[in-house]
Amino acid sequence: MSDESRQNILNRLRIQKDLEKFTAGALARHPNLEELIAAIAALERDEQDQIYRSAELVARSNNELAAQFIAKAPAAFYAMGGDGVQEWLDGAIEVFDHRGLGFAVDFLEDIDSFAEAYAGRHAQCAFDQASVFLRHFVRGLGGRELRIATDDDTYTDTEGLYLPASFNVFPDAEQNFTLYKLTAVHLWAQTWYGTWRYQVLEKLMRHFDTDKVLPIFNRLECIRLDACLARELPGVAREMAVFGCHDEDEEQLWAQWREAAPLLAGAGATAEDSLALIPTLLGTPLPPLKLYQGEMFAGKVRQAMFARIEREKSAFQRAMEDMRNEGDGPEGTGADAAQKQLVEMQPTDNEDGSEANLSMQVSIDGKLQQLPEHLKDLVGSILQDFGEIPDQHMERMDLGEYSDDLLPQNGDNDVDGNADLSAEGTFSYREWDCVRNRFREGFCTLRELTVPPGDERFVEETLEKHRGLMKSIKKTFEAVLGESKLQRRQSDGDDIDLDAVIEAYADVVNGREMSEYLYTRYRNQERNIAVMFMVDMSGSTLGWVNDAERESLVLLCEALELLGDRYAIYGFSGRTNKRCEVYKIKEFDESYNLEVRQRISGIRPKAYTRMGVAIRHLGHLLHETRARTKLLITLSDGRPEDYGGYKGKYGIEDTRHALLETRQGGIHSFCITIDNEAQEYLPHMYGPANYAVIDEVQKLPYKVADIYRRLTT
Amino acid sequence: MSTTAIRTAHNLVTREPYYQPIGNEIAVFAAAYHNQLPVLLKGPTGCGKTRFIEYMAWYLKRPMVTVACHDDLTASDLIGRYLVKGGETVWVDGPLTGAVRHGSICYLDEVVEARKDTSVVIHPLCDDRRLLPIEKLGEVLAAPPEFCLAISYNPGYQSVLKDLKQSTRQRFVALEFNYPNAELEQTIIEKESGIDAAIARQLVKFGHMTRNLKGSGLDEGASTRLLVNAGKLMASDVAPVVATDAAIAQALTDDDDMLKAIHELSRSIF
Repeated sequence: MSDESRQNILNRLRIQKDLEKFTAGALARHPNLEELIAAIAALERDEQDQIYRSAELVARSNNELAAQFIAKAPAAFYAMGGDGVQEWLDGAIEVFDHRGLGFAVDFLEDIDSFAEAYAGRHAQCAFDQASVFLRHFVRGLGGRELRIATDDDTYTDTEGLYLPASFNVFPDAEQNFTLYKLTAVHLWAQTWYGTWRYQVLEKLMRHFDTDKVLPIFNRLECIRLDACLARELPGVAREMAVFGCHDEDEEQLWAQWREAAPLLAGAGATAEDSLALIPTLLGTPLPPLKLYQGEMFAGKVRQAMFARIEREKSAFQRAMEDMRNEGDGPEGTGADAAQKQLVEMQPTDNEDGSEANLSMQVSIDGKLQQLPEHLKDLVGSILQDFGEIPDQHMERMDLGEYSDDLLPQNGDNDVDGNADLSAEGTFSYREWDCVRNRFREGFCTLRELTVPPGDERFVEETLEKHRGLMKSIKKTFEAVLGESKLQRRQSDGDDIDLDAVIEAYADVVNGREMSEYLYTRYRNQERNIAVMFMVDMSGSTLGWVNDAERESLVLLCEALELLGDRYAIYGFSGRTNKRCEVYKIKEFDESYNLEVRQRISGIRPKAYTRMGVAIRHLGHLLHETRARTKLLITLSDGRPEDYGGYKGKYGIEDTRHALLETRQGGIHSFCITIDNEAQEYLPHMYGPANYAVIDEVQKLPYKVADIYRRLTT
Repeated sequence: MSTTAIRTAHNLVTREPYYQPIGNEIAVFAAAYHNQLPVLLKGPTGCGKTRFIEYMAWYLKRPMVTVACHDDLTASDLIGRYLVKGGETVWVDGPLTGAVRHGSICYLDEVVEARKDTSVVIHPLCDDRRLLPIEKLGEVLAAPPEFCLAISYNPGYQSVLKDLKQSTRQRFVALEFNYPNAELEQTIIEKESGIDAAIARQLVKFGHMTRNLKGSGLDEGASTRLLVNAGKLMASDVAPVVATDAAIAQALTDDDDMLKAIHELSRSIF
């Protein structure tokens, strides 16, 4: 007998002895013990160790169950690997605990079913695993901001991409992840390459039996979009070719359709060409949808598109009106149209002639200019819907609509009549009237109120919920605090400041008095910051936004306590100019005590968002605080809006004025918002770099502390 | 291997630097120079501000001094200080003083990074006085007509503590820079990196994709400089996706999801 064989036999004997020890002899009754031991001996060392550990553990509950586990373990390792075996055994123990030994043994024996389910679970790609990536990826591709969400159907309504909750088509998780990506790209391509142009949708719904022809249109558009992607995103097209069809028969059917519609593969093909081909393909057998291809719901697209068109038309007209007014002097209130500039839009020369790369330039009084940065997204979105700027968009704003938008406040809007200015905590503020181009002195009455205490458990629950995040926030804030800085020219210190010594020496040589400040020392930079948080408590924050705001404040307070920055928190809301309210949550001199925590918890949505007056009041409070750097941070969910005329340009201009006034007092302002349309007005209100848009409410707690840290270091 | 030491005050740009004008910035800068007005260049990082100044130094045939500003930069670092040599103290000019004496173009790069008190020393140089007081020497230098001060900063940099003071910015003629349009950017990448037009076009498209991500996970998209870097790697036979990962994605972010998105965007194009 060779040495190797002898060693093998010794190994098996040892394995058998060890395992029998765990099972108190139960293993010995196994009908093919010798084969079983040989199979275990053939496993990797770490797999054998896992069997030992698990068998010992199970044997503490039941020896028979341990023996059954050992008997099936080699097959289980073969089918599922180490993680799968652990999951399988955990399942068996749970069954044993709840239903007894018999069911647990049955569970262990039915290893094939478990292995199949396990493989399915681990091959699938769930939406949560892909959603953040998809959001970045689709945004990178360009075009309109698209919501990424799950739905029972896979489709786009041109506002969002709706995807399945998971993909489990391929045996490999990475491939299923790729399928998510390709599906999102295909739906994005519908919005980007003009499948849902207004004109196309209208023809589709007016001239055809929509339900009947949509499946044909979907296939034709798939051919066209595949060709577009092959030209512009060849990498994606390569993957689509691999992952598109289930089998060759499907591929054959698609090839026949492509032959029937060769025109669609051309660079100049449009969705109207697909429409034109529909009659010729009526009755032709439909190829199954490609794996990455979604359904089409014209009704949903129409609903989303119409709402968007109205919204964007009014925003565009407002922007054009602003551009026309730019040449006016201070007295030019827009009344004299003859003074206004002539603003026109025209398409930029498009080198490749493709529909997707349309862009516009603006001409002001005949002079061509690049489109202002803040209008690019808006114009891009209009182009995606129409392929041009429709004439209706270029028309002046309807007078009624415009005047309503700019309607200044008047007595009719006073809900409560004149408030008592002599009451304690009541203040009077002016408001900027952009129509009259002057201030309305003493127009707003503001009261300072205190937030009634809420449930104190909210703070604990928030800290528990975000425990991991809190730890990392504290760590990064500690790092900020720990940053030490070399201070030169000190009267005493750790080392000699050579520059200072040489200068002092030169002074002596030249007959001047020698300086005493000759040392350097490292010292943590003293933070001398006072920050005021102004929290939007308007009615629109009801629900998630309110929760996210409160959670953000809790996390911030914890972090700010660490930094030692002076901070105060106020909420704001109100209804009309006579009932503006700010709510004290934490004053500068107040410590972060139980009462403050309860007030944070008690923040609830109130009425409307009259921002200007709140900024003036809080700016005044901040101004009275002693600090080198003063910061006013607004947490908001939308644009300024209040009962009556405080909306549109009127509200934005008043808020902007209030911010300019605080800025003149040396206060820096910053806005953190979750309003997706904020790009349209925030750069104008706060300045190009002084705001941050967070794309999801849930991210608010994660982002607020991070933004604060970046702002102040 | 050989190294070349460049004496900062005498750095004459002898070879024409490659620069593609975007608008009328050359004419404006030249006019500002001839009228002895200082110039402020605003724009995102890597869009060509420094290259423009190099080009103008060549164009105007003036030596150029660049100072990269940082938060430890003192007034002495700019103006000069005494050194001890053989038991005696010797005055050594700082780069700004040197530039004034030699009638050079002095370029203070990312000036908002400098300490506030440091930036104040340039004030008398920037108005019609054009004087540089050197307190330690008891001298006031009058700048010759050839001297020009140019500063740059990136207004998109998000920190309320780093903003250019009104009293500083209102002394300058300001030029706004941005990324060049697609066609021009493609020409720049082709010329700078030596890759062919098709790849350069794809790189430009990729650059635009990363710029779409600005403000939603990325502070900045890929600058023209980063695109040129990726092009250079590709010209040295590095596979395109590897090149964009190394030269662009990793330079832009550390976030895993964002890195994956940028990687996949690159894969989708190349």
